[in-house]
Amino acid sequence: MSIIEVHGLTFDYGQRPVLNKLTFSVQKGDFLAVLGPNGSGKTTLLHLLSGLLRPMYSGISIEQSTMSCFSQPELARKIALVRQDITSAFGFTVRDTVMMARYIVGGSKLFETRQDRDIVEQAMERTDTRQFAERPITTLSGGERQRVFIARALAQQTPILLLDEPTSHLDLKHQIEVFDLLRRLRNEEGKTIIVVSHDINLVQHYADCFLLLADDGRFCYQRRSGAGSGLNAKLIESFFGVRGVEGVIEGHKVFVPIGVAQTQTNQNPQCK
Amino acid sequence: MLTQKIFWSRIVAAAAILLLTMAVCAAVGSVPVRLADVFDGPMRNGQINTAYEIIVTYRLTRIVLAAVIGAALATAGCVFQAILRNPLADPYLLGVSSGAGLGTMAAVLFGWTWSLWGISAMMPTAFVGALLTSGLVWLLGRSTGRHHTGLILAGVVVNAFFSAVMMFLTSIARADQIQTMQFWMMGNIAAMQRFEVIVPAAAIVAFGVVRLTQWGPPLNMLTFGADDAASLGLSVPRTAVSVFAIAALITAVAVCLSGLIGFVGLIVPHAVRLAAGPDHRQLIPISALMGGAFVVLADSVARVVVAPAMLPVGVVTALVGGPFFLILLVRCRKRLNWGL
Repeated sequence: MSIIEVHGLTFDYGQRPVLNKLTFSVQKGDFLAVLGPNGSGKTTLLHLLSGLLRPMYSGISIEQSTMSCFSQPELARKIALVRQDITSAFGFTVRDTVMMARYIVGGSKLFETRQDRDIVEQAMERTDTRQFAERPITTLSGGERQRVFIARALAQQTPILLLDEPTSHLDLKHQIEVFDLLRRLRNEEGKTIIVVSHDINLVQHYADCFLLLADDGRFCYQRRSGAGSGLNAKLIESFFGVRGVEGVIEGHKVFVPIGVAQTQTNQNPQCK
Repeated sequence: MLTQKIFWSRIVAAAAILLLTMAVCAAVGSVPVRLADVFDGPMRNGQINTAYEIIVTYRLTRIVLAAVIGAALATAGCVFQAILRNPLADPYLLGVSSGAGLGTMAAVLFGWTWSLWGISAMMPTAFVGALLTSGLVWLLGRSTGRHHTGLILAGVVVNAFFSAVMMFLTSIARADQIQTMQFWMMGNIAAMQRFEVIVPAAAIVAFGVVRLTQWGPPLNMLTFGADDAASLGLSVPRTAVSVFAIAALITAVAVCLSGLIGFVGLIVPHAVRLAAGPDHRQLIPISALMGGAFVVLADSVARVVVAPAMLPVGVVTALVGGPFFLILLVRCRKRLNWGL
């Protein structure tokens, strides 16, 4: 069953077109990676999916209902978003921050219930953030903070999780930890995961489908066909303008960039 | 984490501090009074009891009025800081107070002198002035983006502009109107000590504080930014309009009662935040109570320090608040990664 359906999504910021007739669908339990150069509309797509941007017609349906049917609180029960670089103006503790997920979703009460508390503790447990639950988030490192916001998204208890470059400021170990966590959430809780990333090799290892966006409005949706498969070098060259070599090492597809492409190709190899 | 037990015990403690401050300040003044005499009632031995007159009719009404004003300004400060994500916000510094002041002045100038249940014509015009200025500040806040000094700078300009308009109106007004108008600009709690004025004002401010406390969790979410709050399910435009309207209303009440008193909305929320943390469910009611205590104290200093003359209370709050603001400004500039 497709949980997200995007049909003919076109979006622009005034003069600059960003997304052009984008069409793809996401199945329940998919791990989708969204890739593309800067300015290709990856973050815009996440903002459209989570209702932060609401054009007159978006062509997005979630669980078979069109986007415009959902109010902001209803949407927050379906989709949780982890944005880049979130900080508060004031020093809330980690536990208070995670608890904020429960306010609307849990029913707008002044004080949280026991159930809300249990959900928050569990979310912190899963993301390994409970150890600094009482610390203000302003005192945490980038990696720790990222995990706190993933915990907050978990506390929303949504079937769909969107993440905007969740590993951008993290060291290698923390990058792997975040992606391992996402894979566990998909495998154990059946969550649908959509992650924007710049790390082609990391997502080739974890994701099972890919959406490539180009800065001229082209797109390509591809599902992994088996172990050792993934994005081929020609496709990456046409979307990123970077030449590279590809290979399979012990069953893992890898891409090594070797230089900027000489001429920008405008046709999609393998994609319509 | 905030539990109901902590919530209520802190509120009781803050209320106790407020009542104690009020009691002490009632006993302090330029004229020495024997407290025992007060309990004889308004008449003693067939004569007017001056001790009763001074303490109850004069000092207590003034103290209650000061508490209402302080509660309103401190609460409005909390709310502006949260929703504009700016630790330097204050109704006076943002120009919201002078917007309300301009509204009251317009009422005086147009000669609207009616009043209904103690709410004079100045109140609605002050509210409109405060609301429009809040809207202006919200738009400026969006366009200045990440720099919190930009917003304050805009507020200072709005403030200076409105003050200039008020001075212009003062200069073209008839002589009998001038004194009423100058009163607003100085921040003074002297002329409004009437019971029928205090009761509706206190009721409006109490309503505002309770409603804003109920908006506490959305305000907590908004300190992470409008987009982030929306992704957690908050309807941001509806929240912003409601919260701004209530904050503008209580600011307007305070300005009608006392004119332009600055810095209360800046000092009190920051001090309370240090003691009780940043959670707005807690911050708003405690700031209201402590703001009341702070203005009661400031006004008592204003009454006593140059007795038998009196300072406008705005002078006292500015003398404390100015240096406080500068310290905050330096601290904020050092910590630009506050994420504003």
